Amino acid sequence: MVSISFLNPLSPEGKDIVRELGSFEGISQDIPQLRSTVTHNPSQEIADDSEIPSNFLELALKRIEWYVKKKNHREFNGRRYAYLSDDQITKYDVISFYLLCQAIGVKFGPNSRETRVMVESQGDLIRERLGKLHVDEARQLVEQSLHLYLDDDQVHWTFFEELLSSRKIRLTELILDQGELILDHQDFMERFGPKIKHRNPLSMYQLLIGDELKELIMIKLIMQETEDYIKQVHEKAKKMVEPNPILLELAEQVAEVLSRPMQSYGYGSMGGGGGPLKAGPLNHQAFPPCVKKALEGIKSGGRNDGIVLFITPFISYARLYPDVFRMNITKRVSDQDPNLEKTENEVLPLIYEAAQRCVPPLFDDQPQEKVNINAKLGFGMHSTLKMEHEGETTWYTPMSCEKIKLHLPPLCKPDDLCKKIGNPLSYYNRRIWEVNNLKTEGSKTQEEGDAEKHSKTEVSGVQKETDLTKSNTSDPNSGGL
Amino acid sequence: MYLKPTSPNERRQYYREEWDVKNIPDYIRESLIQREFGFDHMGRGPNDRYRVFKNMDYLRKFMRYRAPFAAYSSVAFYHKPRRRDGWIKAELVFDVDAKDIPIRSCGCSNVCEVCLNQAKDIVHGLVDTIKGDLGLSNIHVVYSGRGYHIRVLDDLVMGADSDVRSQIVKYLVGSDVPRSEYSNQGMKYNLEHFTIPFAYPQVFTNRMKQAILAVNLETEIDGVNKNILKAVIKHRDLLKDHQWGIFRKNIGPIRYHKLVKGIASLNLTLVDAKVSIDLKRILRLPTSLHSGVSMISTEIKNLETFDPFQDAVPKFVYERD
Repeated sequence: MVSISFLNPLSPEGKDIVRELGSFEGISQDIPQLRSTVTHNPSQEIADDSEIPSNFLELALKRIEWYVKKKNHREFNGRRYAYLSDDQITKYDVISFYLLCQAIGVKFGPNSRETRVMVESQGDLIRERLGKLHVDEARQLVEQSLHLYLDDDQVHWTFFEELLSSRKIRLTELILDQGELILDHQDFMERFGPKIKHRNPLSMYQLLIGDELKELIMIKLIMQETEDYIKQVHEKAKKMVEPNPILLELAEQVAEVLSRPMQSYGYGSMGGGGGPLKAGPLNHQAFPPCVKKALEGIKSGGRNDGIVLFITPFISYARLYPDVFRMNITKRVSDQDPNLEKTENEVLPLIYEAAQRCVPPLFDDQPQEKVNINAKLGFGMHSTLKMEHEGETTWYTPMSCEKIKLHLPPLCKPDDLCKKIGNPLSYYNRRIWEVNNLKTEGSKTQEEGDAEKHSKTEVSGVQKETDLTKSNTSDPNSGGL
Repeated sequence: MYLKPTSPNERRQYYREEWDVKNIPDYIRESLIQREFGFDHMGRGPNDRYRVFKNMDYLRKFMRYRAPFAAYSSVAFYHKPRRRDGWIKAELVFDVDAKDIPIRSCGCSNVCEVCLNQAKDIVHGLVDTIKGDLGLSNIHVVYSGRGYHIRVLDDLVMGADSDVRSQIVKYLVGSDVPRSEYSNQGMKYNLEHFTIPFAYPQVFTNRMKQAILAVNLETEIDGVNKNILKAVIKHRDLLKDHQWGIFRKNIGPIRYHKLVKGIASLNLTLVDAKVSIDLKRILRLPTSLHSGVSMISTEIKNLETFDPFQDAVPKFVYERD
């Protein structure tokens, strides 16, 4: 019988396993039984001895490595990690889960990329494990696990407030009636059965709720609990004198595993794009439709949001720190522009021009908005940018597409690329990357003396990018990318 | 006579002769000292903010003597409303402005009886969903002068943050196209939204129907050209009998998909989402005067029978030449 802690290490069974282990003593010692379980797994492929985790800490790193490689490596081979879906590793897996949460909580805190990866990897692992189990067994485990959270028969949707707030689930995905979440078959039939015409209510239940919705909710609840646990660890660690060095070392190793894909095969929003992005002069042609529209000026009612909250962060990050989401390291404007020269000469003028193009011009009736722009750049509520004020406010990161749709709906006129991204800055980076890539490809083919052929074959269907490259080289202001 | 701006004299007359502080709804009176008040004295926006009233009498005197162009109170409850500090909770609010309805059947430049009625229909739909799907019950509808405010005071949602509120908005207005592909034990099935007569797909179907019945050839919907609109207008009566399947077939599945997607994205502007997700918003005070159109912001007892041109017109309007 598979233990519930195989899916949910935070369950009472999981906590028992941790209690049994007691302390950190011997945490890095080899566990022959773990090695044996891994090597005896019939689905396991092993190319090198280093692929076999020998202790809790190595297993913890393998969990993260599995997730990162799966996400980023095109030729990812799941069989190299088959042991992660073998329930015989449960008691080791639970310990490694706690080690990871604690290491990440102590060192990086809840708002870090490490936490995000940990939480998402836990979700993916559960999904993977459920997929390998027999249907009946998976169903039973999901029911049991859900029961831990939803002990009452009737659950009001507001119970999921945290999951909704962190957008782990969408309200529109839930089947609601009179405020209650409908998961149970009988409940479903009672409430909706009479309304369903020309279809079999039972098959409708299986399609709309069935195993899928239950699994989704269970997984997201565990992910949220994992995140909350990391938060708790972080809060406690702030009060502790000295965190355990084993945890700190593990945290370093996690960070190292996460930085690997950036060096070798690209990570994050670039979707396969290579190498870190360098900040460079702005390329107006690469701006997404919403930014282009906003730069033309905004009508009364949307002016403040459009200029102060949307354009200011976008333009400043696009010019100074386009990698912000990929790097996930908070910076100040002066870290990227030490003497504020680019900010004063390139960023602010563009924002001010857009502000003056508004109807009516923004600063005519609201000159105080200049102060707000400085505040969003991190320089406090002052009329000029001064280094001594930097840090009084935070440098706002660019609004997501979701936020723009809510705050400034008229600006959102998505094109094809928009569908693939979630933030206008990712759009910009993607376009810039495409231009760079085209240029590199172009120079390669030119070297081969085959430039004409290249433009006909490889660039087909990407007219926009070709225009971009052109505009970039012909526009003296745009500089070299 | 109607919908013209109010003169300063008319304002004074209204607040001295007609307005009564006792008509302010209980849900505001009972939490008076926890709310921030804001006023617009000159018609240039609510610049006079951070006002707090210890009791109803102070508010009464203020309104009578200042006769503001517009009066607002916060949807938020604070420990220190004077500093907008110590946020406790906030009403969940939906603002349906007749002027901003994305697909208007009237085409007027400001507001008129037709779009105000359309706004009322939208409010009806939203309130049904707030009750039937979200299970909330402490709901107040207020005529705002140019549209309607739905104010929800159930404790279950008053602590919700902006992200939760934005999810609620999307659910209510139908801005996500429900998925149509479902699978069960490896088999794929197609279920269009209109075949599911409950939960979010039903909400979406209702909003779609409302929009489709209001479109005209001039309506701009992303991805929907004039030819599609013509076909929609030709066949839309089918929807009155819930003949969605035939409607979709007549329009063509690909064009139908474009239509659904286009309307879903327009639906996001059915309510002013900024108002709903702002936890510190100020909202027009019921009983106060909307001086831009000379209408009284009125708490509605019965939405079915409410008629703004009967129930929300101040007396001075009838005395105009």
